[in-house]
Amino acid sequence: MLQRDDLTALARGYSLLGSGGGGSTTMLELMLAGSDQGPIEICPISSLDPRTPCLGVAFVGSTMLLGERLPGADPFARLLAAVERWIGHPVPAVCSLEGGGMNGLAPLTLAGSHIVVDADCTGRAVPGLDQMSLFVDRVPGLVFACDTGAGGVALVEAHRAIDAERVVRSAIIQAGGVGCAVLGGFTVGDLREHAIGGHLAHALELGRAYLASAGAPLPLLADALGGELLAEGRIVSVAASPQDPHVNAVEISGLGGAVHRLVSRSETLAVLTDGLLVASAPTIIVVVDAVSREILEVTELRLARNVAVVAIPAPAWWNERAERRAKVLPSAYGLDDLDAA
Amino acid sequence: MNARLPVSALLSHTENGGLSWVAGPRGAAWEAVAVGASEAELPESGTERLAIITAAAPTSTWQQDAMLRRLRDRGFTGLAVSGAADFDAGAFRLADRIGLCLLDVDRPIQLAKACWMLIEARDALTLSQVRKVAQSFEYAADDLTDLLGHIAANLGVGAALIDSSGVLQEAGAHLDERLHAAIGFDSWLDRVSVGETAAASVRVDSPGRSGLRLVLFGQGLGEAQVQSLSVAAEVAMPAVAARILIDEVAAVNDVAVSSGLLRDFVDLHGAADADVQRRMIERGWRTSGHHLGFRVVARGRLDSFSLLRSVSAGLSAIDAEAHATTAGRGLSGWLTFPDAPDPDRVERAVAALRELHLGVLRDFTVATGVGSLQAGSEGLATTLDEAGDAARIAAARSATGWFVRVDSLGLEQLLLAWTGNDTFVPAAESLLAPLQEGGGELLTTLSAYLDHESGIAATATALGLHRNTITVRIRRVQELLGIDMNDPEARLALHLACRAVQPR
Repeated sequence: MLQRDDLTALARGYSLLGSGGGGSTTMLELMLAGSDQGPIEICPISSLDPRTPCLGVAFVGSTMLLGERLPGADPFARLLAAVERWIGHPVPAVCSLEGGGMNGLAPLTLAGSHIVVDADCTGRAVPGLDQMSLFVDRVPGLVFACDTGAGGVALVEAHRAIDAERVVRSAIIQAGGVGCAVLGGFTVGDLREHAIGGHLAHALELGRAYLASAGAPLPLLADALGGELLAEGRIVSVAASPQDPHVNAVEISGLGGAVHRLVSRSETLAVLTDGLLVASAPTIIVVVDAVSREILEVTELRLARNVAVVAIPAPAWWNERAERRAKVLPSAYGLDDLDAA
Repeated sequence: MNARLPVSALLSHTENGGLSWVAGPRGAAWEAVAVGASEAELPESGTERLAIITAAAPTSTWQQDAMLRRLRDRGFTGLAVSGAADFDAGAFRLADRIGLCLLDVDRPIQLAKACWMLIEARDALTLSQVRKVAQSFEYAADDLTDLLGHIAANLGVGAALIDSSGVLQEAGAHLDERLHAAIGFDSWLDRVSVGETAAASVRVDSPGRSGLRLVLFGQGLGEAQVQSLSVAAEVAMPAVAARILIDEVAAVNDVAVSSGLLRDFVDLHGAADADVQRRMIERGWRTSGHHLGFRVVARGRLDSFSLLRSVSAGLSAIDAEAHATTAGRGLSGWLTFPDAPDPDRVERAVAALRELHLGVLRDFTVATGVGSLQAGSEGLATTLDEAGDAARIAAARSATGWFVRVDSLGLEQLLLAWTGNDTFVPAAESLLAPLQEGGGELLTTLSAYLDHESGIAATATALGLHRNTITVRIRRVQELLGIDMNDPEARLALHLACRAVQPR
């Protein structure tokens, strides 16, 4: 059971798992706090019949825009109806699609009508829909529904993951840059093998640890998070990569003059210390303000800010197979020389 | 050859492919160099080595960092790559931090060649330096400075001719005093280094002057470079020695011609002569304008030519067009002003000549005379004449520092100068010979009498005698000489004769 009081801890947990991306959880925290639900029951995968149909929900597009164009009270309703109509039966269970940043909290908005399954399709923030675990493992029969703007709905039954990503992405752009998406066509049984189970519990645990140790010295905080303190210092330069304007390299002048580089895209992807790669995706790289201990998004890494960088181990699911790993390494984004050996 | 190649030596090498220091330790030095198109082509172990990468450097900041780190971890202590100067500032900090000397190079292959020469193929380096020296001779040099300039430019180092007191000629760069002081003058070859600078020098055997050395020097030169420069200096030395001789002969010849011309001109006494005029114009001697002549004469034995060389060096510092050439046992010269100079300027010019005279006096026993300011061709002849007279007077005047200027002379001095010549003195002596009787007291009395305007009383007071004694003696003089003392012409001749035989 997820108590109302746990919401903040869960949100911080997902923020940490955002690795600098995934969007701010604030809006969804407010939406959930505003609803008058009591404790929410969270069901582990094993507690449900594997044949139970399931779906995943998420906000797609610019999370920044979402702060300006607030979603309605029941943003997923039309998409759920479309998916159920397409597959021909009701879907009682819901899981999260992206367990990092704001989308970790998205399934909880359906807690009143659906069973919330503790499973996630990424285990961290990722930028592409084709990076969802179900697509990575090529689970057949997946259906994506999304907004197209002005109340319209698009539904894609793609056989190639990249098609789903591109079509949904275009529809979302048509919808104004941000919208909702629902993934259907799988069962709770599929999640056992092809998703990251217990991720919500993990996020909650991380969030609690963070809240408990936020004021502690940085090495202790990193320890509490089960992570490693990689860097601590002042941001001395932020430079866009000449090859890809979406890629930024942030230089942190660390203790004893160490030269740290943070390479980020929509999430923080790699950390180098004195030219040595010390962490890279899928490892979750969290940047916190060294003073206020805020969890920072990549857009908040500005000159002269004092920050600390903590690496939290990636969900084991990604590292189990080489083809899974290949989807989330820095090279998947066209960044050379940053993949961890 | 275990000598290490310091980064300063590479930076000071001329053909280093446009190398510049970017970051990291400035005192880095290497035993060997590794060249490769990329990092992968470099040897695995880079201990004590400089890495030269011919391909373009990565543009991403993290790739730059990573490359520096990987190379350092493999042992390399230096990296030269094009575009290093455009690396991110963080990469420079990293280079400093990990102790990797980061160099930017425009042409890596040329740098590789330079390294190869400096480390492994010193003979090739020496040969290339010697070839450059040979190329310096290909172009005709006007004089020694020009020759040194050619050598310095071709070798890309400074070239200087020195003696133990200082630099005589230099080109390409300035030879530091401390470096000069360190150079040994005893050995045939000498190699020294002081701080960042180093020099190779070789003795110049010139019959005219001894104690000269040819020095090739530069900043940050490594041992190999200094070694090759010493060979280059040895090769260049005979040419320099020959050049010194040629310049000397040319100068002597030139002086002989100008001296002859001046004699011709003075002999004309200002009269126009087309041939002399043409020759003077050819030498750049202008007869128009205003002239101030001067003459320096020897009071003992001296070499007019070396006197001229010494004076000429000082003349260039005078604020007027100046010419000088040897004439007889000394030299004649003049200053030319295109427009009439104001008295101040003339005074300044005379003061400068006086300074020059005092300077020359340290090395030569001379006397100097300066004429008055005169205009035009005739004026030039006049002022040179006056200068000659003044110099003759100066030669007998230690009280004025052996320096006399015509304008400051009384007329009598001038008269005396004229009467002091070889024809007048014997005539005066024979004129006054009858007065020698009685121990010369008659001559003394006559002189004083003439000096005191034929006043008996004044003469008596001056000589401390009774006026009757004077009266008697003057009468006796008139008897002995048979001259009418009331004739003004006779009185003048007598007065001059007294001065000529009785110099004061």
